[in-house]
Amino acid sequence: MFSKDIKVERFKDAETIIGASIKVKGNFQGQGNIIIEGALEGSLKTEANLFIGDQARVVANIEAKDAAVNGEVRGNIKTKGYLAVGASAKIFGDVQYGEISIEKGATVNGQLLTLGEDHRRGEKNKVEEKETETSK
Amino acid sequence: MHVYIYDEYLNKAKYNKAINRMEIRLTDLGLNGKIIRLGGIKNIKGTIQNEIRLGAKTIIAVGNNQTVNKIIGSIIDTEIYGDFQKKTLLGIVPIGDDNSIATSFGIKNEEEACNILLARRVEKIDLGLVGRHYFLNQATIEGLGTTLEIDDFSLELMERGEVKIINLLSDPKEKIISNPHDGKLEVLIRTRKKDQTLLTTKKIKVISSRAKLMVDGVIELDTPVEVGVMNNKISVIVGKDRLFE
Repeated sequence: MFSKDIKVERFKDAETIIGASIKVKGNFQGQGNIIIEGALEGSLKTEANLFIGDQARVVANIEAKDAAVNGEVRGNIKTKGYLAVGASAKIFGDVQYGEISIEKGATVNGQLLTLGEDHRRGEKNKVEEKETETSK
Repeated sequence: MHVYIYDEYLNKAKYNKAINRMEIRLTDLGLNGKIIRLGGIKNIKGTIQNEIRLGAKTIIAVGNNQTVNKIIGSIIDTEIYGDFQKKTLLGIVPIGDDNSIATSFGIKNEEEACNILLARRVEKIDLGLVGRHYFLNQATIEGLGTTLEIDDFSLELMERGEVKIINLLSDPKEKIISNPHDGKLEVLIRTRKKDQTLLTTKKIKVISSRAKLMVDGVIELDTPVEVGVMNNKISVIVGKDRLFE
């Protein structure tokens, strides 16, 4: 989860880190937090949070819970929760989000679409249902 | 009954002192048992399997990583494995160099190893598998020119560096969490540019046109090769300072 005061900072706990010297190709999926500092081509999906560093180059459609983007993304981005776009970010694609912040200097070339309150409520209910089932 | 398997290289005179120290300590603790010296034995597999059949409670590798791997290779995926899993534990007494497996288990030297054998703190741990070879610690390969295939994606290194596929952490300075009970391997890549890549997986294919995969620092294998993990495959006696939870 990103604190709204440190919107585009890299988080400390990540299950997956892709370093700057790595090139990933294919459908990259994770359940935990993901940090991308290198290159990625294909698709990128996580149930948790995503951080894209300022040197990263991502050519993929992205789905995450919360995300912070500082590098270049060519593809659509969908975050159920909060999307933080840093000053060095270059996004070429449509962006869907629950909440968004965009720093001065960022480039976003695409449509910005807010996920409706209904959608967000639906996602929240799904999580609550899952938690209830687990506690049973 | 304890069965101590002494590796062949321990015949050298420079190890006599360490062996004497160990044997004295074992006697003091009442842990004496049968000694098998691999130096004079041609059929190592058969000998170790026979000891398990005869009811060995503990098989103790006296030597280094290679000794441990020889013993594991003699047991896993053989008809004796069922008996071993039910009745026998694996212990280690490290003597000499290349003892990263003992380090992972929190065993620093031969005398401490004897105390740890007495305490009999047991952990079930995963085993890494490369082709037909098993490993406890890690498999490593030079990074540049290496491609890693995992599930539906591949990773390619653009810089010189090292790829480590870790089952059981052997370096206390390494600041990553590696759990040898979770049925997963950690893939750690460090390059000369000092950037780090870390991910977990159950299976990975390693492909390199330049380098060979080194398993537990003792076996070199050509690629392409698949690396996997077998969950809670072996029961070992560990120290309280082991490098995992």
